[in-house]
Amino acid sequence: MRAIRCACWLLGAGLVALWLQSARAEDPSVEDLQQELKAMKAQLQQLQDKMQKQEQLIEKLSKQKAAVPAVTPVAAAAAPTPAEEKLKQEITEQVERDIQPALNAANKTFPSQFNPAIGFVIDTVASYQEHGGGNFEFRSGELGLSASVDPYARAYAIINGSDDGIDVEEAAIVTTSLPYNLTFKGGRFFADFGRLSKFHDHDLPFVNRPIVLDEYVGGESQANGAELSYLTPLSQYLTITGGWYNKIGADNERVSNLDPRPLSEFTYLVKPATFFAINDSNSVDLGVTWAYTPKVKSFTSDDTVFLTDGKPRDLWDFELTYRYIPLSQASYRGLVWGTEVLLNHETWNTGTSDMAIFRPEDAVGLYSYVEPRIWRWLYAGFLFQWVQSLDRQSPATLAYSPYLTVWPSEFQRIRLQYQYLDAPQNHESQFFLQWTAIIGSHVHGFRDR
Amino acid sequence: MQRHIVSAVLAAAVLLAARAQALGVLRVVASIPDLADVARHVGGDLVEVQSIATGVEDIHAVPMKPSYAVMLNRADVLLVLGLEAEHAFIPGLLEAARNPKIMRDAPGYIDCSVYVRPLEVPTRLDRSLGDQHPMGNPHYNLDPVRMKDAARAIADGLARNDPEHAATYQRNLTTYLATLDAAMARWQQEAAPLKGKSLVSYHPDMIYFAERFGMEAVGTIEPRAGVDPTPAHVEDLEKMMREQKVTFVVRELHYPAGLSETVAQATGATLVQLPVMTGGLPQTQDYVAFIDYNLRTMLNALPGGT
Repeated sequence: MRAIRCACWLLGAGLVALWLQSARAEDPSVEDLQQELKAMKAQLQQLQDKMQKQEQLIEKLSKQKAAVPAVTPVAAAAAPTPAEEKLKQEITEQVERDIQPALNAANKTFPSQFNPAIGFVIDTVASYQEHGGGNFEFRSGELGLSASVDPYARAYAIINGSDDGIDVEEAAIVTTSLPYNLTFKGGRFFADFGRLSKFHDHDLPFVNRPIVLDEYVGGESQANGAELSYLTPLSQYLTITGGWYNKIGADNERVSNLDPRPLSEFTYLVKPATFFAINDSNSVDLGVTWAYTPKVKSFTSDDTVFLTDGKPRDLWDFELTYRYIPLSQASYRGLVWGTEVLLNHETWNTGTSDMAIFRPEDAVGLYSYVEPRIWRWLYAGFLFQWVQSLDRQSPATLAYSPYLTVWPSEFQRIRLQYQYLDAPQNHESQFFLQWTAIIGSHVHGFRDR
Repeated sequence: MQRHIVSAVLAAAVLLAARAQALGVLRVVASIPDLADVARHVGGDLVEVQSIATGVEDIHAVPMKPSYAVMLNRADVLLVLGLEAEHAFIPGLLEAARNPKIMRDAPGYIDCSVYVRPLEVPTRLDRSLGDQHPMGNPHYNLDPVRMKDAARAIADGLARNDPEHAATYQRNLTTYLATLDAAMARWQQEAAPLKGKSLVSYHPDMIYFAERFGMEAVGTIEPRAGVDPTPAHVEDLEKMMREQKVTFVVRELHYPAGLSETVAQATGATLVQLPVMTGGLPQTQDYVAFIDYNLRTMLNALPGGT
């Protein structure tokens, strides 16, 4: 036992001695350090001299080059010698060999690369109505898909989920290479009717769709059908659209998309639209839409039966949008004044269901809003609405709405809106707070500008 | 009577459209005036060039006017800076223009960034990091050397669309590159006093200019490209600028003056106001004049001037 303890002591002492020895060996003397410092100074001086000479050379060459500006282009254009050509070719081939593995890797394709662009919009609204109470409304979660189909067409779909269920709002195919500036669209889409009826709810400049569009069109101008659009070959921007649909209006209950109908019960549309630039900053968009249904059949809406005598319906839309966008301050300042006036002409039953008395009625409705951009992220606006009832059996509805929109970024928006509603049997104040966010793909579409 | 008016209007339209084709010129539309100027040099008499932006705009926020759709509808060739710089207006206008010749990936769509080595290429794409520069910083038009790469792309693109005159485009390119080289040699000499100086700009659009002339772009007033400044970010920026003794605050002319002035005053940096595209000011009507102006403005702003 004693022998083991002695051995341990000896081993420990040996290790300490070894450590001290190595430490001493790594510790350079002051003389060594001074020599090393001297050598480093010499090296530094050599490098500085070298750099100075190179800088002088560069300066000299630059002066020579700048001194012959008129001759240089001609000299540069002179044909290279065969030796230069050969060197250039060798270098090119070498570079190509070097980058080929990276190119091969980059050129690999995967099935997923053909996936469409995907975007998702979340739109929520908290509201309080003087008579109706408050509500948190999940208005929509909207999935957008779009991609090219082939060299001749593209397709897109907007699928909307809300408390009412899931709905395909749009699913359409659009041609991309027809001659004569023509574009043909087919499927389910928002018909080219007026201006704001083509906007999805979350894209509107205020919280709710204008009353006149809800009443006269049936909300968004959703339509199953086909549309042909023509950009005229004039120096003045002028487009002409012709459409043929089952019906126009997502909430239009006059016609069912499920039942076939004679040609006289489809809806047909014509729309010319143009644009005038007053100057660089001020412009006006003008458009007129005529939607014509040759024969309107009796229908049921909100449990009310509407009898008709099979006469036609004409729905007109006159749109005017004035924009002030100063070019150099487009992200900070601006103003939009948008107005749509709708005129509906059709025959209504002014008698009873047992004793119908049909009378043609003209009904007019409009909205007009002005929205100045106060700062990059802040817009204020005021919306005025006045709408006659379609059958003219009740007084007109009036509404005023000041609102404020804040964009924390391009993909997130918060909007506060007050509305005073003066409708038949409902006069109340309404408050709305809307929060909208976009994730994934997004495009700045021409239609939504 | 009405029939006669309609016939006259249609005839006039057809004649107008036929005029440019009869002249035998290639109708070129450029997204910004810098590319239009280069195209005029490379294309010479063989091209008729128009620009969508005038030079005073923010390239990320050029308004989408229907009149631009008409311009694009008649174009044989479209020149874009690329790297998604024109994301806010070119895709929408192309949709409205209905011109298959200049759709993306068609021969008439010339992406001038194809030969350009971009800076600040993100390693991860996430909108929490900003969204305006997803393919790397697209403001390479402020670098005369990278604009030589753009000129090569334009010459190649014009030759692709008009192979008959390919040799002329190459010859014009060589001449224009020599002009840029001569100007570059002069600029390098003149810019010597700027070497080692640092700058902060409103938006990250000065990095190519800074790198080319030996300066360092050390920060931006926007926390991320396209994201508005926050008080906390400005406070951090000013602290960094004081520590690093930053020389310049660059206010691009389409951004608000107030905050740039405040930051410059708070940190002792010199405020410089610069256009970021050719045509941004009356004295910057061509590309060489544009770089000249920016360089001289910075040199004059140096303490003591030059």
